[in-house]
Formats: sequence, C-alpha cells, structure tokens
Amino acid sequence: MSDLDRAIEQLRACRLIPESQVRELCYKARELLIEEGNVVSVDAPVTICGDIHGQFHDLMELFRVGGDVPDTNYLFMGDFVDRGFYSLESFLLLLCLKVRYPDRITLIRGNHESRQITTVYGFYDECIRKYGSANVWRYCCEVFDYLALGAIVLGASSELEPTGSSMNDTTQSTMPIDDGELETEVLNSHGEVTSTSYRPRFRPSSVASNDSRNISPPRDISAASGSTGTPTRTGVPGTGASADGNGSATTSRTGAVLCVHGGLSPLIDSVDKIRLIDRKQEVPHEGAMCDLLWSDPDEIEGWGLSPRGAGFLFGGDIVKQFNHLNGLSLVARAHQLVMEGYKEMFDGGIVTVWSAPNYCYRCGNVAAILELGEDTSNGGTIARSNGEYGRSNGVLGEGNTVVSPGRRYRVFEAAAQDTRGMPAKKPVADYFL
Amino acid sequence: MALDLQPPDGRKRVKVYELRDNDWFDRGTGFCTGQMVGEEHRIFVESEDQPNRVLLETRITKDDGYQKQQGFCPTISGFGQTLIVWTEQNGTDMALSFQEAEGCAVIWEFVNSVQQHLNLNAADDALSDDLESYQTIALPPPELRNLPEIEQIVRAASMTQAGRDALSKFIIRDEYIGKLVPLVETAEDLESLADLHRLCNIMKSLILLNDNTIIETVVADQAILGVVGALEYDPEFPTHKANHRQYLADQSRYKEVVPIKDPIIRRKIRSTWRLQYLKDVVLARILDDPTFSVLNSLIFFNQMEIVNHIQTNAPFLRELFHLFDGRNTDIRRKDDAVQFLHQCAAIAKNLQAPSRAQLFANFIGHGLFAVIAFAVKHPNPAMRTTGIDILVALLDHDPVMMRGYMLKAVNEKKTPLTDTLIDLLHTETDLGVKNQLADAIKILLDPQIPLQDPLARAGPDYFKVRSANLLNDAFVQQHFDDSSKRLFQPLKHLANRASLNDLTFQEVTLYSHLVDILTFFVRQHLFRTRNAIHSESLAPRVAQLLTAHQKPLKLVALKFFRTLISLQDTFYQALMTHNNTFGLILDIVYETMPRDNLLNSACLELFEFIKRENVKPFILHVVEKYREKLENITYVDTFQNLILRYEQMQGYGAEAEPLFSNEDDSTPRRMPLNGQRWQGVKEMDAAEEDYFGTSDDEDDWHQDNRAAIAASTSNGSTPADKPLVDYPDDDDEDEDAMDTKPEALSTQPLQAESTTAVDAPGETGSEAGSTSSSPAQTPPPERLAEKRRREEEDEDELMKLAAGPKRRSSTSSNSGAGFLNRKKSLSIGPIGTGEKGTGILGGTAPKRIAINLSPTTKSPVSESDKSTTDAPGETNENDKPDDSQGDGGG
Repeated sequence: MSDLDRAIEQLRACRLIPESQVRELCYKARELLIEEGNVVSVDAPVTICGDIHGQFHDLMELFRVGGDVPDTNYLFMGDFVDRGFYSLESFLLLLCLKVRYPDRITLIRGNHESRQITTVYGFYDECIRKYGSANVWRYCCEVFDYLALGAIVLGASSELEPTGSSMNDTTQSTMPIDDGELETEVLNSHGEVTSTSYRPRFRPSSVASNDSRNISPPRDISAASGSTGTPTRTGVPGTGASADGNGSATTSRTGAVLCVHGGLSPLIDSVDKIRLIDRKQEVPHEGAMCDLLWSDPDEIEGWGLSPRGAGFLFGGDIVKQFNHLNGLSLVARAHQLVMEGYKEMFDGGIVTVWSAPNYCYRCGNVAAILELGEDTSNGGTIARSNGEYGRSNGVLGEGNTVVSPGRRYRVFEAAAQDTRGMPAKKPVADYFL
Repeated sequence: MALDLQPPDGRKRVKVYELRDNDWFDRGTGFCTGQMVGEEHRIFVESEDQPNRVLLETRITKDDGYQKQQGFCPTISGFGQTLIVWTEQNGTDMALSFQEAEGCAVIWEFVNSVQQHLNLNAADDALSDDLESYQTIALPPPELRNLPEIEQIVRAASMTQAGRDALSKFIIRDEYIGKLVPLVETAEDLESLADLHRLCNIMKSLILLNDNTIIETVVADQAILGVVGALEYDPEFPTHKANHRQYLADQSRYKEVVPIKDPIIRRKIRSTWRLQYLKDVVLARILDDPTFSVLNSLIFFNQMEIVNHIQTNAPFLRELFHLFDGRNTDIRRKDDAVQFLHQCAAIAKNLQAPSRAQLFANFIGHGLFAVIAFAVKHPNPAMRTTGIDILVALLDHDPVMMRGYMLKAVNEKKTPLTDTLIDLLHTETDLGVKNQLADAIKILLDPQIPLQDPLARAGPDYFKVRSANLLNDAFVQQHFDDSSKRLFQPLKHLANRASLNDLTFQEVTLYSHLVDILTFFVRQHLFRTRNAIHSESLAPRVAQLLTAHQKPLKLVALKFFRTLISLQDTFYQALMTHNNTFGLILDIVYETMPRDNLLNSACLELFEFIKRENVKPFILHVVEKYREKLENITYVDTFQNLILRYEQMQGYGAEAEPLFSNEDDSTPRRMPLNGQRWQGVKEMDAAEEDYFGTSDDEDDWHQDNRAAIAASTSNGSTPADKPLVDYPDDDDEDEDAMDTKPEALSTQPLQAESTTAVDAPGETGSEAGSTSSSPAQTPPPERLAEKRRREEEDEDELMKLAAGPKRRSSTSSNSGAGFLNRKKSLSIGPIGTGEKGTGILGGTAPKRIAINLSPTTKSPVSESDKSTTDAPGETNENDKPDDSQGDGGG
C-alpha cells in the first residue's frame, strides 16, 4: 500500500495526516493542477457535486450514495472548506483522491477557496487549531490558487436509462419507454425513484401527455424555514424546456454542460474567454474570475447587483443567450443553499446543486448530486466541438438547438448520527491565558 | 467605562428595516447616530431626504439580542459585516444595514459598551426593573420528577421575547442553575438516561436564553462541571456521551510561565477558557447567532481585562522577559514564554487599536525583539513559526512602527532585524517558516511608508518612532538598496549558472519567494525598486527562470513580467524589450500550445493585456521582433490581433485618433498617464532605434534607460520626486477619514479604484464584441453607467491632485498570505472585518501627496457620496437581512 493509499485510508477514517505529508500532497496536487486548463474538459459519465463546506461525514454519505472513487467519476464544484468542522479532513481527502485518481475526480474552485474568505469563515481557525500553525493553511491556499475555474462536461447522454439498474452501470439500454426519453429522474438515498420526467421522442413540437413536467422537488421551497429571500416562485419552473421544438432534430446532439461554482460574468461571453484568465491568484474582488465564483442566477432580466458584495445576479435571458452561443445545454453551479438539494431554473438552462445536507448543522436542508450518463449512441465518440466555441472561429449550432442531457438527481440527507459522533471543533490543547 | 459610553462621532449611512409578515420592510435610508438622552442611550436614524423625519429611535437595553452579521444572511457568505439585527421591546425584529462595515463596527461598539455598562449596573436593579410589565414565570422545584414539566415550561417560555426575559429573571433570581447541577449526578447514579437528556435540553435552552449573567453563572467554578456534565448527554446523539468534564477538569492544561497572582485575573483566565470551550466544542453545533456573539463579547471583555492586567503588572513582565537573559538556561521555560507571548499577540489582534498599540509598545520596551530573535533561530521549526507569528502580529499592527525600529537600528549601526530575516530566508529549509519569512520581509522592507498615519494607532511610542521614521529619504533608499542587494543575492548568482536543469527543491522555493518579493516591490514602488533591479541586473535573471523546468517557477517569473507590463513605465518597458524576454515567453506559449493549461492561460492573458491596453512599445517590439512566431500561433486570435494592432499603428500613424480615444475609455489612469505614456512612447521610439542599431546585449539597456529617466524628468518632475506621487492618494484619504469622517470619505476613494478596475475589463467585452461575431451580452447597465459617472468625478479630483500613475488594483494579486487582507485594495465596499480593516488600510497607504490639498478634494467627494449607494457590497434594496432565509448559501 502506497503512502498515498494509506493517507486516503486515514483520512476516510476522519483522522488527519501529518503536516509533512500535507506539504507533499499539496506539492503533488499543484503539479497536477497546473496542467489543467481554466476550464477542464470532463467526459461523461460524471457525477456533479456542489458545496461540501467541511461536512466530512456528509461527504462520506455522498460517496455512499453516489458510489466510491474511482468507481464513479466525480466533479466537485468548489466550496470544500469553511463553516463545517472538518474542512481539513474533507479537503485533504478530496485532494488525495485527486492525486491518486487524477482522471476520476475533478475539483474546481469555489469562492471559499480563498485566503480572505477562509480567514473569516473558519478554515483558517481550523488549521491553527488542528496543526498549531498556519502552515497547512498556507499550503492549502497555494493549492486553491491552482484550482481550475470551471469544467465542461462532454458526451453526456440525452436520456437516462431507466433506473433499477445499478447506479454506475453506464451501458446504455437501448429502448426506453416508448412514448418518450427519460429526461430527469430524482432518487432518494436508497435509490428509489421519487419522480421522473420525459421528453417527447421524434414528435415535433408536441408536448408529451404524460409528461410530469415539473420536476420541482416535492417540498415547497417557500415553506421551508420561512424563506423570504428570493422572490417566492411557486413551483420551480419546469425543466426540460429544451424539449420544445427540438424534438424534430433526429440528429439531436446533447449540448455540453458548463460547471462553475457561482455563475456567469458580464465579462465572459464565451467559454473561451475563461481560458484567457491568469487564474493563479487570490480570488479578486471583481472581474471575470470573481464573477464566475460569486454570481447567482435570479428571476430578473439581464444583470443585477449581487447582495453578496461580489459577483452579479443574472437572469434567464443571460443564461439562454450564453448557452446558445456556446453550444451548451446546461450550466451546473453550486454556491447557493437550496433546501431540496438541487433546483433547476430558467427552463432547465441552469441548475444549482447543493451537496451539504443540514448545512451548518442546522439549516435542515437535504443535499443532492447530479449524475450525467454517457452517450454511447455513436460508439462512444464525443462531439468534441461542444463548448469549444471560437477556438477555431467556428460557430456552432446553425440554429440547431442542443438537447439537454438526461439528469439523475440523487438526493440524500445528513449522515446518520451514529456514524459520525458529535460534530465539534477541536478544543485547544493547552492555554496560558 | 464612562468614557467608552460617549456616543460615537459622525453619522453612518444606513437603511432601516423592519420585519413585517416575514419580510423585511424598508423603512428608508438615513443617517445613524448613537446618542445619549438623559440616562438613556439611543440609536437614532434620521431620514436622508427629510432631515427632520426620524426613521428610528430606539433605546439600547441590556437584553435586546443585538447581533452583528456578515451582511445579508448568516448562511450566505459575503464580504464584511454590515448588519445589526435586534428585537425591539415590543417584539418587532429590526435591522440596520450599514453602507460600510466600518460604520457598522462603530455603532456596534457603542451598543456593546452600553450593554456592558448596563449589565454592570444590572446587578443592583435587575430585580426592581419594571417587573410588572412582563409575565412572571416560576419553575417547579428542581427535582428529577419535575424535569418533564421544567423542560416543557422552559421550551415554551423560550419562544417569545417576553417569555425569555421573564425566564431569565427567574433563573437568575432563584439561582436555579446551581440547583439543577446536583441533579446531573443523581440522574447518573440512577442511570436514568431520559432524565439526563431532559437536563441536557434544559441546560441548552437556558444557555440559549442568551443572557450574560446566566452564561457567567454557567462558567463559574461551582456550576461549570455540572452544566457540561448535563450537556454530555445530547438526546440528538443518544448513543454518544461526550467527555467535557474530563477535559475541563484537567488542571494541567493551564500553564504558567510566570505565575499570575491576582485571584480575579486567574478566575477570568479560567472562565475565558471555559467560554471558549463552550463556544467551540460543547455548543458549536447548536449556537445561534445571538448567543454566539454574547459568548464572543464575554470572551473579548475578559481578554481585555487580562491583557490590561498583564501589561500593568511590571514585576510580572520583568520576570517574564528576564527569562531570555543569557544566564537563564532553562530552555523549556523560554519556549513556554515564547508561546505565552504568542498567545498574547493573538489575543491582541482582537483588541482595539489603542490598547493593542499600548500592549505591543510595552512588550517591545521590555525586550520583545530579543524574544523574536531567540525564537526565529530556534532549532525547532514549530518555534520558529511561533516567533515569526509574533513578528507578523507586530507588522500587521503597525508596519510603520516596525520599520521605524528597524531603521533606528541601522542608524545606530546595529544589525537590523531585516538582515537576520534575510539570512534566515536564504537558509531556512522548512517551507512554512520560509513562507512566513518572505511575508515578513516584504512588509519590513516596504520602502513606501505612509507618513500620515491615523492617530488611532498612536501608542505611547508613537511620536518617538515617528521621528525615527522621518530619517531622510536618501537614508531610507540607501537601506532599501542595501537590503535588496543582500536579499536578491541568490538571484544574482543565477548569472553564473549555465543551465537550470539541476535546480534543487530548496532553490526553487527560494527563487519563487525572491521573485515574488521583487514583484511586490516593483508593484508597490516602481521607482524605488529601480536601483535594485538596475544595479543587480535582476530582470535578466528572472527571465532566466522562465526557462526553468519547474512550472510554478515559470509562473512566478511570468507574473513578474506581467506586473512590469501593467506598470506601463518606460524604465521597466525597456527592461523587457532589451532582453529576449518576450522570446522566452513565446517559447512557453509554444511549449504549452496545443494544450490548455495554467501556464498557457497565463501567457495568453499577458498578451491579451498588451493588446487590450494597447501598450504600444510592446506591440511594436513584439510584432517587429517575433512576427513569424506570432503568425504561427493560430489556435487563438490573440496574436493575430496583436499583429493587426501593429498594422493599424503603422497605417494610421502612432497618434491615431481611434486608438487614443479607446485608451481613454479603457485605462484608468488617463490624465496622468497620457502625458507620461505619450512621452514615453516617443522616447521609446528613440530607444527602439537605438536598440536595433546595437547588439542584443542584455546589459546595454540601461543607457537607453537613462534617457528614459531623463525623459520623465522633463515631464515636469524629477525622478526623486516621483515616489511621492507614485500612488493614488486614495488610501491616504481613506486613512485620514477613519478618524474624522469615515462615512463621507472612506468608500469614495476606494470607489475610484474599483471603478476603473471594473471599467477596463468592461471595455474589453464590447471591444471583443466588435471583432468577434458579436455575442451581444448585455453588460450590467446601471452599474457601469453609474461607475462611469463616478469615474468622471474622480478624474476631476485626480487632476486637481495631479497625481502620478495609479496603481491598478485589478492586477494586484497577492501571494503574501498573512498580509493579504491588508494588501488588497479594498475595492468593493465593506471587505475585511472589524479591527482588521483599519490595519488593512494602514498597510498599503502610500505617502500622501500634500495635506493641504485635501480640503479641495472634499467637496467632490461628499457630493458624489450619494452615488455610491448602488455599488456592490453596500446597502441596496436587495439587502434583505434575514435569518431564516432558506435560499442562499456558500
């Protein structure tokens, strides 16, 4: 067993590795990450995860529900640290897995992967508490600077295989239910289907009769803990609008999926623009890099000011335009607590995935991960041009709307109490004052 | 105490919100003041539009749960603390959303000290105080069989504010907690888990009543073990039992280097430790924000008293520092003493600036530097880290003071601390320590000292140090040059290395740090750093590092040149065009080309910047010299566009109007820069001719460069003067404002910077739109328009000040972790928190231009003040401070 495997074992047991090992790990991770583009290309199948926030036991639960590394490919959209009490264990485990299985796991940067934010929201304190000095924090922050800013998922299947089959079985069953392609499916942590939606097959501009269009999660958002924040949207907008009118395209392609932590930026009109950022720096307070990590979608038109003090709010029109221009079918992002774990907005143009159940140990929310299956229809070859808009001045689409990928959400709750003990911070060992 | 209770000066701009039907209703915007009306302390908000309309008038009472929040919602991360939320006597939830974190802090401090004061007096009149206005609550006698009923009453009472008040009163008056404590042991003896769970719930609820007196009772000697004993049986974790008692009962955790004899202080130390344990461990999961802040403020006030005691206890300090006397051989005790001081320094970070200054001055007077010197040379890396941590705390607190001490040492022909640190940096093998050393050196050597300091940080030593600091400029320059020479020695030696193939790990780290420091110096003080770079010919050495195998090292070198480019300074431009620097950078592009990776993106960004900002000397140089190379890079259009730019220049002549106006819009430093840059371009043209006439020799650049310097001289100011106008005066202004008119002045200058920074990339968007097939993304209209308007005002101001080129906040990135906060320009409203904010501004603040100019700047500032409302991070309509908001996070 290599040192790395041993470290993984140890971290899985929620025990920290020595400082010297952290240093080495961070060094290796840096070597790997420097080779990644600002937007990493990831092939389906992949499981997309949102914020973790140091909730180590819930991360373990996530792996239980979603399958273990390296059996399942994972894409984590940042915010590994802060808030929870096990930021170090969580981040170091993910980093170990990254170094051990570089092709199986992708980590991108969240707004909390920043020196300034971690000094306010807990990670810095945790490092001091657990290692006695800020050294480990420095090593980690150095790694943060190297993390990619986004990822683009290619080759996702437009329809899901009906569930029942094992969760990581990627062989595409050939004939789904007759009257439609299975587009979205929501499963609970026991793998039981709780809701589905279908998209009409080969029927131009028709709306499937048995389409349970609204896959908005069962719980009513506005009821949850007296939410007053975002304007109450009764019934989250239905998903799968991509079905409208594009069913006719027999050669329908599944568009690429852009994954970023926060959202879009007014300075970024194409995915290629992201590639022109020198990302090795602390997250700035403004500009494209900042927006990608800080922005939020909102029910507005165009761009709006963000109450967070960084990034922007952006509306459905912006998402639609951006997706169209870049041949994307979906933007997956994290960054905002959603009580049901995931929330699709703007006719399925963007989805928020949130993977920290019972956030801050008290929000009472459930978490979710998003699985995208592999498109095996054309022999596993992937339409590489997706998301590569502009690289060779080629413009995609020719009016050909892309089809959104089949989306399987696995919803899960906080890890059972008995598996994790009482979460608490580590007390100081000795004191003088 | 009485002094603290003076209402704060100045009016803070706020929005007043009231919670109605679960939604925050905006009562309006106005100015907030703390006032004293008779014996009562009040928060008072006057409408902005109708000065006589009162938006809010509320009496500060001792038990309203005031909380300060991280803007917006506790579960949403944002920048800065700008919210104060509380519940009125009548049960209404109210919120004040401040325009600036700093204004928030001032009012918060006022509220806190008033409450503290009220609590001190509360002991006397708590019982008589309008008892009849509340319902009264009585709990049944504390017996096991009554626990279900007690639990039920406590839970019910906790629901309403009135119930909580009544319950608190009863608990205090009846000394109920003390009566509950023995039940824990009884229940344990009976092994009655159900009772223990009930006791745990009751204790939790009582603590969450959020009453200072109750919490103080809880951590007192007689109660603490019983209370945490009950809390060990959390019904939410029925199969677990914590062992809080074991931890808290362990006396050996308390270490004493030099015994503290005062029993009151000893008790304070003990209860502070317990409070911290409660906060971090016992209650970590269940703490709500009001209780969290009550715990924090109790800890804060305890620590303040402890620290005050320590520093007024002269025999104690003498004994403590005496340990570092050469005759003491007890290493163990010395180490403990370092740890002790480290902890003091850590606590000091939370203190208010004046008390912190006093503490540090006191320590320094007793010989803190000797302690640091002892620690940084310690064989154990952990101790070295601790030592440098103390140093960093001092630097964070007041770099001016520290540099003052250092220069004083130089003046007295003693070895300055910097030399020690530099030598350590060169030899240190522990990466963490090395990192810290590099950060410390950055700050210590930072030659651009803000001479006008806020008096807030004035300690007793303030003026003494100040005078030491006023050593003449030449001396400072001399010291900087000497130290730089020493510091960058290893870089210089690179010249003798034929190949970089055999760099050791240690060398790579060292070079990374050195180049990083150099980059920092250049960005902060382009003029002062000239000498160092010139005389040691460092630029070719950094260029050499571009060829290293280690990619992180390449990146650091690249960042250096990227910084040089962004300075748009003829001297540094010459450095780059007279070496094969761009050739080497293009080599990296070629090496990484088909791939899409970090290095490649960093290179592209560099060339994009040149293209976007239309930096003519570079466009000329790069296209003329490397045209073929550029033409072969086709996977992005950056390089083709560069060539296009070049051809436009040739075609329309150098002063082509479109380019000029384009520049106006996109560059932030229009006024000062145009003059300088055009001048520079002409000069560079001459230099270019020169250059092409001569060989490619790396070392002859300085000839041209002298010309360049001469050119800037003819621009109206001498090179020696330059440093004075080197920086935007924003930061100074801001610092000054801290004391006098925080509200009017402090954001405005910062806005100037953010304005320009945001605008520049904004321009890119539309520019790109015209070249590519027009993606037509709508830019956020209000904000940009708003900003533009403000920018114009700023520019007027800038003209008046006749400032030199502005440093660009957008390009400044900082790897100096520890100092990061300080070094970041605070471009978006409230960033950084509380005390730290003050430090932040102090750090970068460069020399001010002239004090007597400030009156003229004031009017435009306050005029434009209104327009800042919509800027990000400040109060705006979207601000709905709401606890219970379910949506939003991370």
